[in-house]
Amino acid sequence: MACHERMEDDSGKYERIVHKNGSSYHYLKISLEFEEDTSIRLNSAQFKQLIISSLKQLFGEIGAALPFDVLQFEENTLSAVLRVYNRDLVKVWSALTLLGSYQSEMCAFRVQQVSPFLLALCGNSRT
Amino acid sequence: MAVFVDLNIRQTSDKNLLRKTIEIAAHLGYSTIAVNYVIEFQDKKQNFIKPIPVNDLFNSLPIVQGKSKPIRVLNRLTVVVSDAVQCIELRATSPHIRLYDIVAVLPKTEKLFHTACMTLDVDIICITVTEKQPFHFRRPPVSGAIERGIFFEIIYSHATKDSTMRRYTISNSLSLMQICKGKNVVLSSGAEKPLELRGPYDIANLGLLFGLSEGDAKAAVSTNCRAVILHGETRKTAMGVVYTMKKNQTLLDKEEDEVTHPLSKRMKT
Repeated sequence: MACHERMEDDSGKYERIVHKNGSSYHYLKISLEFEEDTSIRLNSAQFKQLIISSLKQLFGEIGAALPFDVLQFEENTLSAVLRVYNRDLVKVWSALTLLGSYQSEMCAFRVQQVSPFLLALCGNSRT
Repeated sequence: MAVFVDLNIRQTSDKNLLRKTIEIAAHLGYSTIAVNYVIEFQDKKQNFIKPIPVNDLFNSLPIVQGKSKPIRVLNRLTVVVSDAVQCIELRATSPHIRLYDIVAVLPKTEKLFHTACMTLDVDIICITVTEKQPFHFRRPPVSGAIERGIFFEIIYSHATKDSTMRRYTISNSLSLMQICKGKNVVLSSGAEKPLELRGPYDIANLGLLFGLSEGDAKAAVSTNCRAVILHGETRKTAMGVVYTMKKNQTLLDKEEDEVTHPLSKRMKT
């Protein structure tokens, strides 16, 4: 739901847009890192399974049942865009943080960006 | 906005590994890190390790992501105390302590935890995360420590390695939060390898899981750490107001001087 409000001023025209409950989702841009000399390859199904198993490790069956989507996955860089509901964000994010190994190889999820708007992920505001 | 700090990167004898870990920390957005030297007095006479000067590690320090400033590297000493006698090494006049920017203590018993909170001149009290909390936190020492500006540290890297450790980490931190109400907590990595590090925002989010509120969790990786560093700096001053050093001394001479001539006695605070 967006609320538009026009303010007219001598100096020019302003448009104020206020988003209330702008989005019911949050989007996470993440990448999975392994040690440099690894031979591990993942496809998108395995990638999603890895996230589900990390959720299950931390939150049990309830965690494994949390709905989320992998919107985009790149096999070469192991980077992905996730979509999660707002109320699940903390759980999914902390599960990603606490994941430490895959098939007994050390790994780490790097969360690059988190935003309620998918468009925000196309640019990086931090560099 | 407050900058992010990781006050615990484990020192390893492998300089390359340490260098790589610090580089990754800079890449993740930490502006300041502290290299942690741990001393256990298990075998009677373990010598104090002299911290490696930063110049030995890097010719030019790595640039922090998004800040265009080089990372700041501090030295920190952690003393594992299981006996009250060992506390004697933690006097402010001890020549070893003065080589470090931050001093932390890991008390093994409830009595030592009490002394650490109430009397010891330290900046950080570590909370055990690798085993079940051996004693209950009680309110008087914890609130005493908060009043004295001492911070409690929770290390998260063990939680990424093993599910039992993860359970202990979460349960010990929850029981601490019950007493300290989220005040005076710092979260730090305790990482030895680059892959054990996590980004500052990840840790702020993880703080929610440890029973911190959103604001406290963010403070635990930023402003609280800054307070720890400042608390450490005041150790070298008189009442936190006056700092003296000899004229015409390079920083290197000064460090040597400190080793050979320990501080004269300081007024009790």
